[in-house]
Amino acid sequence: MINELIYVYCIAVNPPGLIDELKARGLKSIEIGQFNVLIKNVPEIEFSEENLKQNIADLRWLEANAREHINVIGMIMGYTSVIPFKFGTIFKTLESLEKFISVYSGSLLENFEFIKGREEWAVKIYCDRKALSKHIDELSETAAALEKQIMASSPGKAFLLQRKKADLIENELDRICKERGQSYFSELAILSEANSLNNLLPKEVSGRDDTMILNASFLVNSDKVSHVKDIFIKLGSREVNSSFHIEITGPWPPFSFISINEKTQ
Amino acid sequence: MNENVIDRSRDITILEVLDRVLNKGVILTGDIVISVADIDLIYLGVKLMLSSVETMEKLKSGMH
Repeated sequence: MINELIYVYCIAVNPPGLIDELKARGLKSIEIGQFNVLIKNVPEIEFSEENLKQNIADLRWLEANAREHINVIGMIMGYTSVIPFKFGTIFKTLESLEKFISVYSGSLLENFEFIKGREEWAVKIYCDRKALSKHIDELSETAAALEKQIMASSPGKAFLLQRKKADLIENELDRICKERGQSYFSELAILSEANSLNNLLPKEVSGRDDTMILNASFLVNSDKVSHVKDIFIKLGSREVNSSFHIEITGPWPPFSFISINEKTQ
Repeated sequence: MNENVIDRSRDITILEVLDRVLNKGVILTGDIVISVADIDLIYLGVKLMLSSVETMEKLKSGMH
């Protein structure tokens, strides 16, 4: 059709089960070489370079389309292995898509081989610093020592030491959070085949009151997933207080473990 | 059909979605594709907050 572009969701190795819901959304699976590419024809009026840029700035449009992107890939993933594309990747012509697949077929196969029998799991850990600070004397020898000194001091000196302790607590909380994040990460890194550390998202982004201390993705062998989850629950239960909130979600499409990041000609 | 997080969690937050789909996966740029430039989630997060505050304000004042 004239003036239509090709939006790519993902590539699959086996023909995916295109359930009615996906067909109704206008999705197509086209065979290119040994791959099945999940696409949708989209109008230039919405997805041309200029129009896409404007639409991205519209948060409602962005949310609806980003959700559509991941939902479609999630459904396909229920049937077969997928290599997900970054949101908003649009080919101008079918020929250019075919050319891309043919040039990158070796790399695509390597990526499929890498993710075969493996699942992406995401781990986010948050720390309620206020709650943690209540246990600071149990967790930090320096804080405990300073507390003893405060107790033994005159009111004037104690006041000054309290202020010193307030600073010390902040530093100790930073240290404890860093150590905890690192420790969870290391334990999970050993159990997984690959990992990817993501940016820590500030509160404005996470929308939570506590502080994110770890944001990571792990590629786990499918037959090890329940074992990994058990270990994770055990790690969580060793915490002496409820200052840490641990979120483990998955399996996600393997967005974090695809290594095709190219400038095409 | 194997179940995954997207089937189960209808309530995945938009930030969780954007954290995955914006800057990961097969990333192509160049003449043959149209692609979204990198979007800073931190900037976007602030915008999302502002927009939800705006929505609440509108709801409060009875505007839609």
